[in-house]
Amino acid sequence: LPAPPARLPYVPHVPPMPLLGKVTATTFALERPRCVFDGHADASDAVWLAVAFANASATFRNPRSRADVPPYKQLPTARSYMTLETAAAAYSCSAPSPPVLRVGGDTACRDQGRQDPCNGPLPSPGPYRVKFLLMGCRGPKAETRWSEPILLRRALSPGTIDPAPTRRGSDVVVIASILASLGAVLATAVLGALGAKVWGSLCHQELGTDAFTRRSYRTHHIPPALPQPLPPGCGCSPPGLC
Amino acid sequence: MAKSDDCIHILQGLLVFGNVVIGMCGIALTAECIYFVSNPHDLYPLLKATENNDIYAAAWIGIFVGLALFALSILGIIGVIKASRTLLLVYIILMLITFAFEMASCITAATHRDSLTPSLFLKQMLERYQKSEPANDSDNEVTKTWDELMLQNHCCGVLGPSDWQEYTSAFHLTHSDADYPWPRQCCVLDAQGLPINLDGCKLGVPGYYNSNGCYDAISGPLNTHAWGVAWFGFAILCWTFCVLLGTMFYWSGIEY
Repeated sequence: LPAPPARLPYVPHVPPMPLLGKVTATTFALERPRCVFDGHADASDAVWLAVAFANASATFRNPRSRADVPPYKQLPTARSYMTLETAAAAYSCSAPSPPVLRVGGDTACRDQGRQDPCNGPLPSPGPYRVKFLLMGCRGPKAETRWSEPILLRRALSPGTIDPAPTRRGSDVVVIASILASLGAVLATAVLGALGAKVWGSLCHQELGTDAFTRRSYRTHHIPPALPQPLPPGCGCSPPGLC
Repeated sequence: MAKSDDCIHILQGLLVFGNVVIGMCGIALTAECIYFVSNPHDLYPLLKATENNDIYAAAWIGIFVGLALFALSILGIIGVIKASRTLLLVYIILMLITFAFEMASCITAATHRDSLTPSLFLKQMLERYQKSEPANDSDNEVTKTWDELMLQNHCCGVLGPSDWQEYTSAFHLTHSDADYPWPRQCCVLDAQGLPINLDGCKLGVPGYYNSNGCYDAISGPLNTHAWGVAWFGFAILCWTFCVLLGTMFYWSGIEY
């Protein structure tokens, strides 16, 4: 019987650094394990990532050889699959590599249905648990612990967004109230002035006076007539008596 | 006698000055509203799609009100100098009508500015951006406007790229979430228009994607537009109110 795989204490986890896309609706990122498999791995070994639904991780059985590896398309039925087959050298201490692995980033293999290990997008939000499995020619040689459950994002429908403003701005109230009062004052003033004119002309038209107009009289100053001296043709000294 | 003549002359002078100011403000209002209506920031398609473009209606009213104010101020100056009752009566009545229209424009601009919330644009963007079967032309316009907005302002979504993750969208019906957590326009692009690091952009590594939202780029010009129409119109109306009261007082005092 082959020896059971060594249990490494490493726990896979989502990277702690702030990356906006580390967990999306169909993918998630994992911190790349470094120096975890050194001492257990040969040059020809491969490290796989086993992904299982969180409630199915307890029943996951390590495959005995590469041919028994559960493929991606069996995830809905078998509730687990393995992917991200990588040479063990890529996870060694001295390998320069990006610090993050992305699970679910390959849409081409899902659409084309290739038989190779497929890192296809995850079909449901999960939660999922993952572990790394070091596979040699004769079966699994080492495995890490299962990760904590990773829950993917659930997106809401945009119909839940309420576009109404939360509160009426105070500017609108100020503008509307002041303008309305100005308009009311103007309308009242015009109606009042016109009404007073009409009232005045109706009540006072017999008298012929108008109490509201301010007349400016430009008077022509007519001096009283002075008695004209008679023309000197009469010759009588008391006038009128000749 | 001479004193009341002086008073009349002072009142005439004030009314002429008031009307000159109204005329100039009318021209300024027309110019400002023409600028807004000409859509300098290409945001009109977004507003038209929300069926909430009343701030444009307010600007259109502002154009005509401004011209009317200019014409009426000239009429008012002539009426005051000639002390003609009929001219001034016509002036007062037409000014009241213009006052009413401008009041409507100000209140409309102020009210509808309030209704342009981030949620409104978010909902519209999620439902219409890159819609696969565009129901009408306005969906294409919305997509084009958002593309240009995101490219020119180096922004993503309304509040940030997480808008695309928190809500389902028409965009995600045609573009899978694994390949496109957010649109490519949210990535930092090089001179050829390709992302400088596509994997970094998909993961959300700072520096390879635009993390700020576009709402500031939208609301800035719209605020300027709405407040320019609303508050400037309000100021003109306050001044016009005083001039109209003075004119009515003057009108009631001139002889037949």
